[in-house]
This record gives sequence, C-alpha cells and structure tokens, in this order.
Amino acid sequence: MLDRHLLQFETSSQQRRVLCFVVCLALLFITSCSKPYTRTDNQVASHQIIDEAGRTITVPDAVTRFISLAPSLTEIVYAIGAGDGLVGRTTFCNYPAEAQQVEAVGDTLKPSIERIIALRPQIVFVSTASQLEAFTNELEAHHIAVYVTDSHDLEGVFHSIERIADVLGKRPQADALLKELRARVRNVAEKVQSQPPVRVFYQVSAEPLYTIGREAFITDLIKRAGGISVTADVPGAWPKYSAESALAAKPQAIILPTGGSMGDADSNVASALKRSPAVANGRVYKINWDLLSRPGPRAVDCLEDLARALHPEVFTK
Amino acid sequence: MLEARDITVKYGSRLAVSEVSLTLAPREVTTIIGPNGAGKSTVLRTLNAGIAPAAGEIILDTRPLGSYSRRAIAKRIAVVAQEADLRFPVTVFEFVLGGRYAWSSTSGWGWETSHDVAVAREVLRETQLKELSDRLLTELSGGERQRAVLARALATEAGILLLDEPTANLDLAHQATILALVRKRCDSRGIAALVVTHDINLAAEFSNHVLLMKDGRSVAFGTPDEVLTPDLLKEVFAVRVLVDAHPISGVPRITPVHEVLR
Amino acid sequence: MIMAGSGEAVSKVRAFRGIDGTRATLSKTLIVCAILLTALFVVIVLMSLLGSEKLPAQASLCALLTFGKSSCGLTGDQDAILFDIRLPRILLGAAVGGSLAVAGASYQSLLRNPLAEPYLLGISNGAAVGTMIALVFMGAHEWSRPLMAFSGALIATLVVYRLAQGRTGATPERLILAGVIVTTFLSSAIVFVTTLMDATRIRSFTFWLLGDLSGTTAKLLWLALSIAVAGTIVLAAHARSLNLLMLGERDAFDLGVEVSRVRLVVFIVASLLVGSSVASSGSVGYVGLVVPHLVRLSLGSDNRITVPAAAICGAIFVVVADTIARTIIAPRELPVGAITALIGAPLFVYLLRRR
Repeated sequence: MLDRHLLQFETSSQQRRVLCFVVCLALLFITSCSKPYTRTDNQVASHQIIDEAGRTITVPDAVTRFISLAPSLTEIVYAIGAGDGLVGRTTFCNYPAEAQQVEAVGDTLKPSIERIIALRPQIVFVSTASQLEAFTNELEAHHIAVYVTDSHDLEGVFHSIERIADVLGKRPQADALLKELRARVRNVAEKVQSQPPVRVFYQVSAEPLYTIGREAFITDLIKRAGGISVTADVPGAWPKYSAESALAAKPQAIILPTGGSMGDADSNVASALKRSPAVANGRVYKINWDLLSRPGPRAVDCLEDLARALHPEVFTK
Repeated sequence: MLEARDITVKYGSRLAVSEVSLTLAPREVTTIIGPNGAGKSTVLRTLNAGIAPAAGEIILDTRPLGSYSRRAIAKRIAVVAQEADLRFPVTVFEFVLGGRYAWSSTSGWGWETSHDVAVAREVLRETQLKELSDRLLTELSGGERQRAVLARALATEAGILLLDEPTANLDLAHQATILALVRKRCDSRGIAALVVTHDINLAAEFSNHVLLMKDGRSVAFGTPDEVLTPDLLKEVFAVRVLVDAHPISGVPRITPVHEVLR
Repeated sequence: MIMAGSGEAVSKVRAFRGIDGTRATLSKTLIVCAILLTALFVVIVLMSLLGSEKLPAQASLCALLTFGKSSCGLTGDQDAILFDIRLPRILLGAAVGGSLAVAGASYQSLLRNPLAEPYLLGISNGAAVGTMIALVFMGAHEWSRPLMAFSGALIATLVVYRLAQGRTGATPERLILAGVIVTTFLSSAIVFVTTLMDATRIRSFTFWLLGDLSGTTAKLLWLALSIAVAGTIVLAAHARSLNLLMLGERDAFDLGVEVSRVRLVVFIVASLLVGSSVASSGSVGYVGLVVPHLVRLSLGSDNRITVPAAAICGAIFVVVADTIARTIIAPRELPVGAITALIGAPLFVYLLRRR
C-alpha cells in the first residue's frame, strides 16, 4: 500500500519535472531568439558565442560596461579603443595610465565579487593565466557573462585581440592594430632570420631556480626573437629547474625579468650560472617584467626588446 | 640532618603551611599524617627547596638550604614521588642510574663511572629488582615500578630521604616492602627519612616520630604512642577511632569507627 | 651473563634496543657515531655522483676524494657542477637535516612528548615570518635572512614559553597548546603580509616556503654547517639532563637538574638550529619528527646517543631525500619538503602501528 503510494508520488513528481524541463526549454528557445534574460532585467539583444576556453556564453550585442581581470586584457581593451566601457580592473592593471582612473576590484588572485556585482558589468574578461576557474563559476552563478581568453603564443594573443574586439564591437580598430603589430613582428623575423639562434636561459627566480617551460608564452617570444630557450622542451609553464642542468646547457644569454610591477627583487643571476658563457660574455639582459608576462599588444614591444638584446648587430640603426 | 624552623608557605595569598617545625635526624623515620589539603606534601617540597618558604628557615647540616646549589642538595636529599609518567622506553637499570646524576663531574654530558654502576647494582639487589634490570620500566607491575623509583632515590646515596605517599596505589604486601626497605636503610646506613602518608597504621609501625597536621598547621609532634591518640585523631580527621596495641609489634593500631557501622 | 629464565624478555628488549640490550656507554656511543659518520660520508660521496647532469663517475670520485685539488680529468663545467652546485647543496642538506633532527629530539625530551616538533610549537613559523620580513624589507642584505629567522624563531619560542607558564609552571600540555596558538596566529600573519606584498615577492616567498636547498652562498652554507655542529654539541652536552627531564620535570629537579636553565639552553639552541635551517631551506617537514623517533626505536632513549645519532641520521635522511627531489624528474626538480613528507609520513604511521 505504502510502497505503491510512494511510487505514485514519485512518478507524478518525475512527470512534473519533465514537464518543467520541457517548458523551460521552450522558454529558453523563445527568449534566446528574441528577448534574453539579463540580471538587470533590461531587455537587451544578445547572442551566443564560444570563448577561448570552449565555453558557450551569452553576450549582449552592444557591450557598454565590462570588467577586465587581467593586466594583459586591460591593455588589449585600451589598444582597440574600448577603454571607455571599462568599469573595473585589477590592482595590477597599471597600463595604460588611463586604466588607473578605473575602479579596482582587487588583485588577480582574489578579486572582490561584491565589487564586481555592484559595478553591474555586462561581461567580465578573464585570462586562463590568472587561474580563476572557481571564480569564473561564481560570477556565472550571479548571471554575469565571463569571457575567458587562453593564449599560449603570439598568434594566440592576436586571436584574443580579434575575439575581444568582436565582443566589444571594435573589429575595425582591431584590424588596424593587428596590421601594425604583424608588420612589426614580420620586421623582427626578417632581421633575425639569417642570424644563428642564440641559446637563452630565462630565469624566473634565482632562489629557488625557476624557469619557463614548453607551455610558457615567453618561449614562443624568444623563438621569434631569434633565440632558443634551453628549457623549451621542459614540460609545464613554470618548472623548478636543476641548477646544474642550467649550467650544463651553456646558455649564451640569460634573461632576467625585472622592473614594472616586479620591482628589482630578482635582479641577480643564480650563483650556479655565474660560470655560464652568458655571464662570462656579459650577456645578461633585464627585460621589463610587465612586457614579458602579459600576453597583450605590448608583447610585440617585448619581442622587439628581446630581439634587440639577442641580436644587437642587426638593430644598429 | 635537616631542620625546619617555623616555616610558612604561601601560594599567592593562600596560606598553605603555617609555622611548622620539624627535625629529620639520622636513623629516624618521621611521618607526616593528616587529611587531604593539610599541607603535608607542601612541607615535603619545601624541605627539598622545590618551594621557597615565605617565613622561617631550613637548615641542611650546618648551612641554610638556600645556600646550596641544586646539585649539592640532590646529593644530600632524595625524593621518592608518586609514579613517574613514562612516554619513552627506559630500562630499569638506566632509570636507577639516573639517581647518580648529581654525582657526575660535569652537569650534562657525563658518563656513569664504575662506582655509579656498582651503586646502582647494589640498590637493585637490595630492592630485589636485579633480575628485572634490563626490562623496560613500562613492562613492570605497579609494585615493581614503585620499588624502582625507591631504588633510584637510594642510588643517590643521599643522607635524607623524602617519600611522598610512596605506598599509594600499592597492595598490602608491596606497601610493607617499600617501608621495610626504608626502615632498613635508616638502620643500616644511618639515613633520615620523612614519609608523607595516609596510612596511619603503617606510620605507627615504621616511624620514630609522627607529625600530625591539619589546615597547614602542626597539631602534634612526637612518638607514635604520643601522637596517635583517639582525641588527637578525632580532632584532625573528624572521625572517631579505636586505638589498641598491635598484637605482634605492640605499636598503636588505629581502627576508624564509622557512624554508619554503629 | 643474562639469566636463562628471563631470556624471552631480554631478547624482546634486545630486538627493541638494537645493538645490545644494555645501557648506553661512552664506547657504544662512540662506535655508533663512528659508524653513522662513515655512512654519512659515503652517502655524501655517492649522492654527489647523482644529478640531472651525468658526470663521469670515476673522475668525479677521484676529484671528490682529493677534495678538488686534482681535477682528475673533469672539464671546467663538470668541475663547477660538482663543487659549486652539487656539493654545497648536499652539505646544506646535511646541515638542515642535522639541525632539524637534533632540535626535534631535544624538544621531545624536554616536553616529554614524542610528537613534539619545531613546526608544532610554532617555532618554524616564527622563523618563516622573520624570513618574510627580511625578504620584504631587507632583500639586499645577505645576512638579513638568517638573522631575522633566528630572531623570529627565538621570539616565537619565548612567546610560546610565556604563554605556557601557568601558576603551576609549564606543563607539556599547556606548552603544546601554546604552540598551536602561536602557530595559527603566525600562519595568519604570513597570509596577511603576503597579501600586502607585490606580485613578485609573493612568488619568491611561496617558492621558498616549499622547501629548497639550492642556491645558497658559501657564507650562508658555512653558517648553517657551523650552527648545526655547534648546536648538536651544546645539546649533546645537556643530554644527561635531558634524560632526566624526559621522565618528568619534578623528578629531574629532585635529582639535581637545574630545570629552568637547561630548558632555556634547549630553547635558545633549538631556535638557532630551526632558524638557520628555515632561513636556508624554507620548510622541510617531518625530519624533526621521524628521525629522532627512528633513532630512539633502534638505539634506545638515552639522549647521549640519541642526540648525536639523530644529527647524523637527519643529515643522511635529508641528503638522500634531496637527491631524489633533484633527480626523479630531472632536469625539473621537486621541493625537498615534498619528498621528506612522502617518505616520512608513511614511515611514521608504520612505526606508530608497530608499537
């Protein structure tokens, strides 16, 4: 008796659920065609796109308020002339100068979700480099669209610029920017093409010794600048590395990221590398950390700096 | 010889012991008895310089106790406390050798001399622990362990032995063994012993003098015959007792008469 | 001369106490230390032959045994790898391992708690906060890190000690409780200051916290080695007092130990040991816990053997662990703390269950 009763109840609730689901689907279909639901209940036209992390997101057709949670993305936004719509940034977003007038929502490690919601953005830009997966889910739970960029080399950066421009409706500006950037990249490639590649060790930190691996964005930049990272085949992006292997690789040049938001903390070559050919020949180069670490438009500035350091002979004009 | 003259001990503002005098002479066993909280153990810790008296003085041999170093006191006064809590495996022999600490020439990294080893062997034989000397202390029974604690105190070769409820938690046979060993040492080596105990009958049997305490004060001091009287015991313990003579030794035998039994 | 009747018990004790069932003596200690020192020497030489770069074994051995006076056919780079990179790192590992194991053994005896450890008492965290302050405010000065780590460890020790002092003195329980309070407080302090640091310093600090033995300077290496050796000697010199303290502070006092003086010496020396190892290697866990425990199980509880033996065994343990850390995924490296925990935690569980 009781069992049957329970069973009946269960069946009916199941049926209800299916019904609900169908109704929801239908509603979703209708709304996605015409008037989407947004948090503020403003009836704004929108469309669906797939971001660089492969997630399907709904973005308004006209984006006027958005937040960037990575310095590189902030730089992209300004470079394509969309800085007016930026309503929030991280404390690390220090370029261009105008960006500093925008309200900060915390650092890249722990942005404030309350501040972000209060700023009522239509979309938030996040980079995979910031490792904010959990935070992304949290934002989506509050019906805030999140666009995730995922670039591992220069081409990836250019792709990100195009995609962000599409979202923000700045495609012509992006095309002009990319044309200029590609020309500069080509210029570097032509100059270093005939030069033998320089063996480079990139020292992330001296103590303990950390370097860049296969997946690091900088590995690609070094290659394009006419160098070859001696740790290019090491798995991972930021591996802890054996000092003796670094010395045994006989790097001809050592690159130290300094300056910018990094300060001068790690501006010394690891003691193990004092005997390397790079130090013996005085080929230790300090490159601005902000340029090195940000997969944005200034990565091309960084590429030029690197090429000039590795092949001074072809940049003598 | 250890002499306490009118010592007063305070814990903060609380008076724990008030003007108690006591002399421990060679070949004599003195017992302190009294209800819980009477200040018995405090007197014992004060005599060992573990607590400084607020007033009065303690003379060890000829000088004030305070003028001795810690090691000098340890050579002269040994303490048998209640069971040590053991969290590390130690053999009986190692444990007893600990009693030789104060005699080492250096304070820390000393090694026991052959004399130290001979002394430890001797006390182990005396306390009938010789066969157990390579066993771990944790493997011993309660009675054996308390004998080991006594053996360690004897190994100090101190002239004064202070025992703080040495027979608590022991069965009848072991209680007597411990006190008989102390008595024997007093007679053969001429040491002085002070025993804090709750067992009035044991006190009567083994002591030369008894100090009866209540509320930090000395109520009576004298031989067992003088002190262990029904009136004094009723005053201190608030329990009526019968006192008669032990059928064998003739020392006072105390039997409490509880109200419920009458 | 052992009675047949108690044969079973004696054999149990023997199995338990290693070499023989008898007490620690000077000659036994010297023999044990000589054997362990030889083992340490062999381990140092053998581990010097292993690394992410392959060196010719025979030539390296020859160069090592002549203390680098003869190159034995090694190229300049190989010589540099062996003597400038590998050997200093191995020696630092030995210093750190010895320091942590001796500090652990002393704390355990003093606090009568076989589970006591520098980390449990908040002393390592004190050293970590000191190092962090040095990293943020005095990054340039070579001596600032060890100095601030010593100070941090000492202050943490004194605070723990003061907190633990009740009206009846410091009981082991109060002390451990005070250690937990100080540890958690300092952990929050670390998190708080980290959020105030800029990006790069967070990074170098986090790297350092993971535990790492590479990249020390010659001066700091000698400092760590001298503190390890001197600290071991000082604590071993108090070993007989520690033996009695191990059985209870009151008992030790009764038997002639100047308890408060010995306690102060142990606290100061152990904080120096912990401070120097935290400053040079970050957090290398489990050494102070596992090594003294293992030594006690095999050699007995007498600190006159335990303290020096723990020093040498701790050195061997960390040198081997670090060799694994730097070779297992070469040329990448693991933090040495991960290896010591990986070996230490299961070993510790096994030891606990066996008893």
